[in-house]
Amino acid sequence: MTNFDDVVGGDDLSPDEEARLRRVHDLLMQAGPPPDLPPALERPPTEPAEAEIVQFPMLPRRRWALAAVVAATLALLAFAGGYFIGHSKPTSFNTTRIVPMHGGNALALLRIGHQDGAGNWPMQLEVNNLPRQPKPQYYELWLSRNGKPVAPCGSFRVNQRNTTVQLSVPYNFSRFDGWVVTKQGVKERAPGPVVMST
Amino acid sequence: MTSDGELIQRAADGDRSAFEDLYRRYARPVFGLALRRLGDRGRAEDAVQETFASVWRSASSYRPDRGPGAPWLYAVARNAIVDRARSRTEIPADIPDEPTADAGPADQAEQNWVAWRVHRSLEELPEREREVIALAYWSGLSQSEVAEFLGIPLGTVKTRTRAALMRLSELLEEDFE
Repeated sequence: MTNFDDVVGGDDLSPDEEARLRRVHDLLMQAGPPPDLPPALERPPTEPAEAEIVQFPMLPRRRWALAAVVAATLALLAFAGGYFIGHSKPTSFNTTRIVPMHGGNALALLRIGHQDGAGNWPMQLEVNNLPRQPKPQYYELWLSRNGKPVAPCGSFRVNQRNTTVQLSVPYNFSRFDGWVVTKQGVKERAPGPVVMST
Repeated sequence: MTSDGELIQRAADGDRSAFEDLYRRYARPVFGLALRRLGDRGRAEDAVQETFASVWRSASSYRPDRGPGAPWLYAVARNAIVDRARSRTEIPADIPDEPTADAGPADQAEQNWVAWRVHRSLEELPEREREVIALAYWSGLSQSEVAEFLGIPLGTVKTRTRAALMRLSELLEEDFE
């Protein structure tokens, strides 16, 4: 154990100085050594400011460029206060990742929030220009592999040009390589035709 | 030296360099806190990333009239680390029959806060002073052995150590009290 007198030494300290140094000495002893930072933490995060627009899945370069255009278009619409955002307030959703989707004339942004303690991922899906379907048909969001729907992530309907829905899934995303939206008919449990994808 | 509170406020305005200064000051204390709480370096790394993402996102919620920046940062880090701890499925432990000698939650909290303050202040020391403190306190070397190890006179080691302790005293009072 490190001894104060050995470390500081000398008798030229005023009582006040000695008290101050002794206090710091005690705090150092109590705190213990600071940890070594792993290489990954040597520099601050590069883009902490905004939610990450993820390449999800690993899109071929051409499609990724298209997705970027989709994201930019949606951002412009949102900025302009256009129809896409409608009356919702997407900024109140604590977004960590954004996944752009498209299909035909329809565009979508899937916002992914923070995983909760139970392992659920809150998500917010904003869709624009997806055709309204006659009841009781609806749309379904899926996690996909090789473009095929695998795990259901929630159902929704649209009744106007722009719709925002809240969803939550407990899946491990690394097991999938994309997202798709399918058109579902009533009593239809199997995935219907894909109308949007990442 | 710019205070933590000023850096947080500048980060809230989108000042990237202020954010980087905060990171330089606090990455190690946050990592230490996360390691003690989570006991796993990989998860502690994630908690550090999450902490600083939260700092950037929520810097505008910091109110300087409610206190200095260090406790605010501590609260943000603690929340991120607790969230990370909760995300792991814990197997319920058996309740011991007898009281344990381990530190209770209050003692652990006190210990964490002390380590946070000290490690944060160490980041402000010049490298040559931080070096003698680390060797004197955490490597088990005597002052003579520190002098031999660094290849400098014993008097220089004592001077640097005393200067480091004095500086630490000022830093600890300045930012936390």
